[in-house]
Amino acid sequence: MLTDTLTGVRTIPHADRLARALLSRIVEPGDEVAGLMLQEHGAIETAERLSQGRDLPAGLARKGEGYRARAVGANPAADLDRAHYLGARLVCPGDEDWPTQLDDLGAARPVGLWVRGGASLRLLALRSVAMVGARACTAYGAHVAAGLGAELADAAWVVVSGGAYGIDAAAHRGALAATGITIGILACGVDEIYPRGHSALLARIAEQGLLISELPLGAHPTKPRFLQRNRVIAALTRGTVVVEAARRSGALSTARRARDLNRLVMGVPGPVTSELSAGVHELLRSGGALVTDAAEIVELVGGIGADLAPTRRGPILPRDAIGGEALRVLEALPGGSVGAPVEYLARDAGLPPDAVLQRLYELGSLGLVERCGAHWRLV
Amino acid sequence: MAFAHTGSVALLGVDGVVVEVQNDLEPGVAAFTIVGLPDKALSEARDRVRAAVVNSGEKWPQRKLTVGLSPASVPKSGSGFDLAIACAVLAAAERLDPAAIARLLLIGELGLDGRVRPVRGVLPAVLAAADAGYDQVVVPQQTAAEASLVPGMTVHGVQTLRQLIAQLSGQVPAEEEPDPAARELPDNALAGLCLPGIGVRSRSADEADYRDLADIAGQYEARRALEIAAAGGHHLYFKGPPGAGKTMLAERLPGILPPLTPQEALEVTAVHSVAGLLPAGRPLVRAAPYCAPHHSTTMPAIVGGGSGLPRPGAVSLAHRGVLFLDEAPEFPVRVLDALRQPLESGEVVVARAAGSLRLPARFLLLLAANPCPCGRWSRRGEGCDCTPTMVSRYQGRLSGPLLDRVDLRVEVDAVTRLELMERDSAAETTATVAARVLAARERAAARLKDTPWRTNGEVPGHELRTRWRLAPGALRDAEREMERGLLTARGLDRVLRVAWTTADLAGQDGPGRDEVRTALALRTGFSRGLPVARP
Repeated sequence: MLTDTLTGVRTIPHADRLARALLSRIVEPGDEVAGLMLQEHGAIETAERLSQGRDLPAGLARKGEGYRARAVGANPAADLDRAHYLGARLVCPGDEDWPTQLDDLGAARPVGLWVRGGASLRLLALRSVAMVGARACTAYGAHVAAGLGAELADAAWVVVSGGAYGIDAAAHRGALAATGITIGILACGVDEIYPRGHSALLARIAEQGLLISELPLGAHPTKPRFLQRNRVIAALTRGTVVVEAARRSGALSTARRARDLNRLVMGVPGPVTSELSAGVHELLRSGGALVTDAAEIVELVGGIGADLAPTRRGPILPRDAIGGEALRVLEALPGGSVGAPVEYLARDAGLPPDAVLQRLYELGSLGLVERCGAHWRLV
Repeated sequence: MAFAHTGSVALLGVDGVVVEVQNDLEPGVAAFTIVGLPDKALSEARDRVRAAVVNSGEKWPQRKLTVGLSPASVPKSGSGFDLAIACAVLAAAERLDPAAIARLLLIGELGLDGRVRPVRGVLPAVLAAADAGYDQVVVPQQTAAEASLVPGMTVHGVQTLRQLIAQLSGQVPAEEEPDPAARELPDNALAGLCLPGIGVRSRSADEADYRDLADIAGQYEARRALEIAAAGGHHLYFKGPPGAGKTMLAERLPGILPPLTPQEALEVTAVHSVAGLLPAGRPLVRAAPYCAPHHSTTMPAIVGGGSGLPRPGAVSLAHRGVLFLDEAPEFPVRVLDALRQPLESGEVVVARAAGSLRLPARFLLLLAANPCPCGRWSRRGEGCDCTPTMVSRYQGRLSGPLLDRVDLRVEVDAVTRLELMERDSAAETTATVAARVLAARERAAARLKDTPWRTNGEVPGHELRTRWRLAPGALRDAEREMERGLLTARGLDRVLRVAWTTADLAGQDGPGRDEVRTALALRTGFSRGLPVARP
């Protein structure tokens, strides 16, 4: 089940998508050499050159071997079929659904993103905040992260995190508990379950929100992949909140990436006696914004004044351009300032609650509806 | 007359079953058999009894002798039947009047020289006898005080078989010659009773406890948690680095628990009697017991067990007292999971081939744990090298259903230098806190008067929610956390229980918003900016 709010509006040719599916298999995330070639020659030619090892830039002979070895046996058409079967898709630069803020990564921009879940990636990412932190967090950290996740969901903001143990899981769970949408950005294929203990959580995220990864199906996580994944978390969102992090935590690398990309960097303080908050405190001393609740986060990432309209990169979609499920949800919404809860709309529109929730978030990003507690209403 | 019978008691865990010891004497080849499922120790009674009878100056009947232990289907074990068998033999041989022993219940082991030696489990045995309608028992002299705890029972303490025979046949027993050499020696008759090394310490009320709360510097939060745990019967979990004083705090918990009621004291004494833990001369356990098994302890030692019919384990020895598991994540996961049944039902059922047993096990669980294998995790500047996986695995060993039953979770931090230095500032003594705990318990008992429960920790959640309404707005913080998915419905019940106890301690009619916040902080294990409860 694919979203029809943005997909279908403008998509890249199928040959290009096939080429990018192949590239996602042979190019490691964050490979700037391949990224430069991609900018210069386009996806089809780059895929050909890398898989055949010809016309590579000077000094890439050894690396070229690696590309060639990976290209052997790669079957992008089968990958796309399998993704479709799993309810996933490959979103590429040039698609209407591509989150253009990722272009800030320059040559390190992902060749494409495998997306599992029914909502529009671009629209959800417009109103999103990343929340990251220690895997082995304290009770305090888990509590704060879950609380912030739920409050952000109440304000109809999307919580983005990495699906790991600790703070990541607490943030996801908080958002899910408050009937919000959350995006998990993985360092493995979107069909893989890592960490193993999170199979239920990841499945829930895929239903209610989105699981995304630049790695192809079946790819396993490695340490460099985690670090490269962090750049996507930082680039996709308007800001990054670090809840609990020791001095050498991976969460701080996400914060640094966010700062390099001119995104907002925020930190939640903890006890000064705790080693697990020392990294956050250092971040705050070097210019991060101190936040203690979701209202403060929204105030920072939402822009001056109202945080309603996604003016920065929002696609212009007049109301009569909306069709499909989104239109059914929009028409199910009663007029007036009270609005209706998700369950009511699901009954009225004849759609599953998860799908209604996703459509509502998309419409929210387009500035047509807004959330008010458990209710949604027309703007 | 070639038949006689008398009574004795078989123990099934801490329940006694009255056994009729019958003896039949027939002409024939001299033989001596015991029937009625005796175990090894009981089968050997044949040799002990024969030697004791002969060495007491009596004649052994050289005929075919059969001892039946009825009910024949109950397995019987131990040496406590010796005295009853000896008397039944002598009565069948017409040395004693069968009528004199028919309404008598005899418990005791015989030495080969005819001395009567004490056995374990005299109190539950005599309790069973009283229930069955007996009003006279004969027990070894050393355990006479223990047997006398049963109301309405006439207890005869005997030292030798010769003395007993004289009493039963109406003669004035010859004064026992105290052996002057034996006076100097420790009484080795008691040696067999004790099971060393199970880490139980029970304290009788008159014995002064040198462990006082006033010894502990700082730790206001942990002290408060101890007080609440004692007042409401809530289970408690201390988490903190090594050397923070977790064990010191735990050892002081029994001191602030209220003294046992007469009924509880009998229950506890019965278990300790079966385990052979009663100190000679001071039989009644009046103060809450404290049991701290080591983390290498096996499953049978915790829940009760052993070959044949089980003995009480640590959970039963801590009945009506404190079970302290230090370094809790180091315990085998199976052992920790086995605690769930007693935590829920207040008793433990152990099944063995010979039958299953129900042992009382209503204890207050106190867990202590380091935050990670090295113990320095999350402490600033201490250089913990444990990886996140190691930390979560270590803490995960305790998670789930067991921790769900623990109402209070407290981080115990190492004491600061300042707190150590200002020791003269009046830290509260055990006596002060115990008085508050007792008052709070009485308050709770008065409120729970018409219910089967006595402490807040026992009340089921739905009863707590529906029977006693809270002031409007008191639960606001807890409801907020529930909405955000931070607190489960079961968690809310636990918070409510602790809030009631906190109110009881403060002498209020019901919990307000502050009490609920205190309970939330103690449930989730981190501070919510409440002022410390300085004395």
